[in-house]
Amino acid sequence: MPTMSVNWAGRILTVFKKEMLSEFRTRYAFNAVIMFSLVTLTVVSFSLGMNRPGPEVMAALFWVVLFFAAASGLAQVFVKEEEARTAGYLRLYAPATAVLVGKIIFNLFLLVCMAVLLVPLFVILLDTVPQNFILFLSGLFLGLIGLSGSTTIIAAIVSRASVKGALFAVLSFPVLLPLLVAAIEITLVSLVGGNFAAAWPPLQLLLAYDVVMITLSIMLFDFIWHM
Amino acid sequence: MIWKWFIFAAMAAVIILAFVLPSPMDPRLSLGPVDAYRIFYFHVPAAWVAALSFMVGMVQSARYLKTKDMDFDRRAVAANRLGMAFSAMALVTGSIFAKMTWGEFWNWSEIREVSIFILLLIYGGYFALRSALSDDEVRATFSAVMTIIFTVAALFLIFVLPRIYPAFSQHPSDTIVDNEGKMSLSPMVALVFGLSMAAFTALYYWLYEITVRGSRYFDKNRLES
Repeated sequence: MPTMSVNWAGRILTVFKKEMLSEFRTRYAFNAVIMFSLVTLTVVSFSLGMNRPGPEVMAALFWVVLFFAAASGLAQVFVKEEEARTAGYLRLYAPATAVLVGKIIFNLFLLVCMAVLLVPLFVILLDTVPQNFILFLSGLFLGLIGLSGSTTIIAAIVSRASVKGALFAVLSFPVLLPLLVAAIEITLVSLVGGNFAAAWPPLQLLLAYDVVMITLSIMLFDFIWHM
Repeated sequence: MIWKWFIFAAMAAVIILAFVLPSPMDPRLSLGPVDAYRIFYFHVPAAWVAALSFMVGMVQSARYLKTKDMDFDRRAVAANRLGMAFSAMALVTGSIFAKMTWGEFWNWSEIREVSIFILLLIYGGYFALRSALSDDEVRATFSAVMTIIFTVAALFLIFVLPRIYPAFSQHPSDTIVDNEGKMSLSPMVALVFGLSMAAFTALYYWLYEITVRGSRYFDKNRLES
């Protein structure tokens, strides 16, 4: 009888550490996400030129940049396991849930790194200062949790497919659409200086989305991982 | 066999009656040409079948995950294929109607238009995923998992978003049941509409069974050869 009490926190932490280590060696996903967000932001800023569109457009552009930057690098967590043929070892070592949660946390870390770089650049290049910075950050963080929480399982799905990058974006977009709508709304409220009460419905939606999507991923991941 | 005759007779009756009877819309309340509202007899059943098919696809996918029986995968694929066709039908007819009555083909604030478009995107992703996976079992499992994720995301979009953003909607929603919860259709319109719903649903069921049977034969012959 194998021991039933798995040390979940320990396993998740180990998967996360392993991801950090292997990412640190190649820096593939990190570079892809950072460079992609820089390039998109530059294109947006450059093509706007002297025009300063209103906060509605700015909030939408900000999340478009985030979405495509995320789509460029987040699939890598599972794709690299298939390419290096290490998925089998990971299956032996850790239970499915620990693998998934570890990788969600790693993707979240990647996105937070990207946001740390992107937000100041966004403020500088596009001259858009969020009036309510705390609301801006909480909307951003909830959005990033949802981004990594719902796309990590899609990364596992596309890692076995023959066309990975394009498929990842195609499958992610319909899943992420409720998140994008809510996150853009929160960002818009924070740009014009509204308080938490004004952004409460989309905040609730975003929170519910994060919880539901992560739970659903954990429930469904067993089917994918042991295939 | 009797089904086919029912579908034929009902469809023929619906097509004739939809154009012979006066338009279901009161001319005093009509925006644009009153005859445009005849689309009600075809657009609403198509949208209903699209929604039904999406649900069938989701249920069959869940059953596949539970039993790992390939037949449920075939059923899910058949439902999604037909769902795609009927969604496209509802989208195109709705868009033409929107142009004739509200003056524009497309409006992003209309949640029904947006959600049926998202449905098409979902089907596109589903079939793109299926064609990118080569192993039968992996393909069936992964696309079933993806269907369930899509369904939950679509539920968020369809049920939660309009409650949070009460967007300006021009879509007639009080056509069948009015604001007091009573039938607002005249008896003749209700009869034709009911017949049309029944005919579309029967047509869907017939097409669904044929598609499933076809793919069963296809898989059997592929395995034997």
